[in-house]
Amino acid sequence: MSLLNVEHVTQQFGGLTAVDDVSMQIEKGELIALIGPNGAGKTTLFNMLTGVNTPTSGKITMETAKGTVDIAGKRTDQVAALGMSRTFQNIRLFSEMTVLDNIKIAMTHKSHENFIETMLRLPSFYKTEDAIDSKSRALLKDFNLDPYVRSTAGSLPYGLQRRVEIVRALATKPQLLFLDEPAAGMNPEETADLSAVIQRIRNEYGVTIILIEHDMSLVMKLAQRIYVLDHGSMIAEGTPAEISQNAEVVSAYLGGEVVAEGK
Amino acid sequence: MKRNIRSNAIWLAIMIAGFVIMDGLEAAGLINTFIENAIVTVGINIILATGLNLIIGFAGQFSLGHAGFMAIGAYATGIITQQIASPLGFWLSMGIGIIIAIIAAIIIGVPTLRLRGDYLAIATMGASEIIRVIINNLKITNGPAGMFNIPQYATWPVVYVMVCITTIMIANFVHSRAGRAVMSVREDDIAAEAMGINTTKWKLAAFVFGAATAAIGGTLHASYIQTIAPGDFGIMNSISILIIVVLGGSGSLTGTILAAGVLGIIDTVLQNFGTLRMVIYALALILLMVFKPGGLLGRWELSFKKVNKKKGAPAE
Amino acid sequence: MHTIIQQLINGLSLGSIYALLALGYTMVYGVIKLINFAHGDIYMLGAFWGYYVLKFWHLNFFVALLTAMVFCAILGVVIEFLAYRPLRHAPRITALITAIGVSYLLENGMSYLFGASARNFPQAIEQQNYHIGGFAISNIQVLILVTAIVLMLALQLVIKRSKMGKAMRAVAVDQDAAELMGINPNHVISFTFALGSALAGAAGVLIGLYYNTIDPLMGMTPGIKAFVAAVVGGIGSIPGASLGGFLIGILETIVQAVGLSAYKDAAVYIVLIIILLVMPSGIFGKRTKEKV
Repeated sequence: MSLLNVEHVTQQFGGLTAVDDVSMQIEKGELIALIGPNGAGKTTLFNMLTGVNTPTSGKITMETAKGTVDIAGKRTDQVAALGMSRTFQNIRLFSEMTVLDNIKIAMTHKSHENFIETMLRLPSFYKTEDAIDSKSRALLKDFNLDPYVRSTAGSLPYGLQRRVEIVRALATKPQLLFLDEPAAGMNPEETADLSAVIQRIRNEYGVTIILIEHDMSLVMKLAQRIYVLDHGSMIAEGTPAEISQNAEVVSAYLGGEVVAEGK
Repeated sequence: MKRNIRSNAIWLAIMIAGFVIMDGLEAAGLINTFIENAIVTVGINIILATGLNLIIGFAGQFSLGHAGFMAIGAYATGIITQQIASPLGFWLSMGIGIIIAIIAAIIIGVPTLRLRGDYLAIATMGASEIIRVIINNLKITNGPAGMFNIPQYATWPVVYVMVCITTIMIANFVHSRAGRAVMSVREDDIAAEAMGINTTKWKLAAFVFGAATAAIGGTLHASYIQTIAPGDFGIMNSISILIIVVLGGSGSLTGTILAAGVLGIIDTVLQNFGTLRMVIYALALILLMVFKPGGLLGRWELSFKKVNKKKGAPAE
Repeated sequence: MHTIIQQLINGLSLGSIYALLALGYTMVYGVIKLINFAHGDIYMLGAFWGYYVLKFWHLNFFVALLTAMVFCAILGVVIEFLAYRPLRHAPRITALITAIGVSYLLENGMSYLFGASARNFPQAIEQQNYHIGGFAISNIQVLILVTAIVLMLALQLVIKRSKMGKAMRAVAVDQDAAELMGINPNHVISFTFALGSALAGAAGVLIGLYYNTIDPLMGMTPGIKAFVAAVVGGIGSIPGASLGGFLIGILETIVQAVGLSAYKDAAVYIVLIIILLVMPSGIFGKRTKEKV
């Protein structure tokens, strides 16, 4: 069984069909890109997969330690607890809190919260707190964010905020990580850093990654497989080489010179 | 671990010192009934406002219904201590008040906490007014006339101890996983959900916790003042608790305590001004807000932890 | 059935007053997202202005009405300039507390300067009761309803047709973008306060005539009810505020008429909560779902 199985999902908003009968299979350990012109329904699809929206029809299942779980209809936080995490197109950090607290919040759902323990400050409370603290710091250090541990997240430069957001998503210990346009608004140097970060997450942390991206050079460099969405429908699926030769994809991108330069 | 013990010891020392000073002044006869009344009122306001700050400042849920939960605690005590006139009855009434307030908070919170911002404020205000209208029309609460001669078990030491206990509980809640979860809802609820935080649950937790402390405040108010009427728990009373929270800095418990104290002093001083009192109070309020828009302390907290010393976050 | 229709007629008068007040709330909220807590007190000051004009200068009722509107408009602009403008970029809750402070100031300032006691509003227009098809209606009720409707139509005209009205709508949608288009938001906000306060002033004079009694605290409860009306109608929406005002006024009158006057406030809030649970942004409010 694939890690994530998407079968014929459709999402309608009133009369508008944003995502139309889309299917995809994501295997464990893959790095997948989801591309398509603006308004193709990529983020809508992400929102369905992560439980923000419930699909109008279709089935989404995920393989977890506890067997196959149906995602559709679950709350976002339940989906996150199953091992799916994400970043957002417009960065959504807890901007008035410290970078460290941002990471700690992502670890909250893994630790049991006991009211009595918290109120009475029992030793077990400190034990869990200290464990979260050191794990968060270690994770930040691993991505060279340790100098910013105490900084207010919203005060960081854009590129760093992106990185904090990705690390925060990683802190939930996901099996599957969705990145929504992580390179948007980045300069080439920042994009290069980002691509290193993404590869490390996949290789060292063993997380399966799906990313939406417009930066084709990044997509061609990172992705093993690419799904192409246009007007809500999946028009193509294949390796970067196959996709860059695909006539339908090229026409969807009007000329397709962007795709061609990839390889 | 060690730094925690040290900081907790300092807090304990401050609390004991406060008690000893108060006790000494009382024994030396330096505190008359008028001043004691003012100090106890400040204490009760601290309990009410820290609870509301948890809801507004930390969880970011704009509730304007605090007086309703306070009324529940006050009436529970008024009714029960008239039947069981003993300290046991008093504590029992506090417990029952808390339980009823929690149930009411769940009934009100589950549907309304889906609303956002000002819509939530107006809905909770409405809910609180409904509680007041019910109290106004019940026999057991003696209707609009209210209740008199409630036995006084809430002496100043009782209030003092309760102020310490509720403040510790709220501070412990805020500085924990629970507190971080609640604050993440305030910062960005969509991101919080995506990080596995059950936002509905944590919003409700803060709301219920705040309501429970409001009930404690109500119990102490009823038992100390000895007279309560539905009119004591109207919209304007919810607003005066809100003023303490915003004036101190929403999101700062230290600020709330400071603001309750400052307002207590202003109130005491202004007693001599007769009818001008409220005019000056209103002007002071406007000026404080215009010149200190983030509240007295913003989100700054007094802390004795060396490592965890937080810089004051810039005011919103 | 007869009673209900009779109460509907009575409720229209109270509803007109709430609607006029609710319009002020909704416009100010639409433009600067502030619950202008002092709005009910502007209405009180309008009533007092009318009282002095009629009682000591013995002027015509309509002169009182119009001058009260002008007086309140100026007052609204001055209050916005002194108390709210410095807080334009402060947290919204700070501005709300300031508005509460202004409300306290107006209420207590009036009590201090002019005395807290209630006084009788001069009967500038003698009450006459008409009986049409078995229903009683007074000339004052007709006057209130007609004045309110005329003012609402005039407001609608100003907002839809005038340049300032268009600027107002632009600022309500996106202040920064409006500014880039050359609209001075300060002018627009002042104008909004002037319009809203003028309507409140008119409502104050009308209620004085209707209830015959005014006092410095008279604005508190109607102020809150009118805000509830604005929320029920969908805050920010002009037709919503009118509808909400009439709805709340009629509801209150009917609950009172069936002998449940002790529960009339509760009824208003229950309706409020139910409407919000079904329509989280009120009847005409735009439902904005946050984009992810």
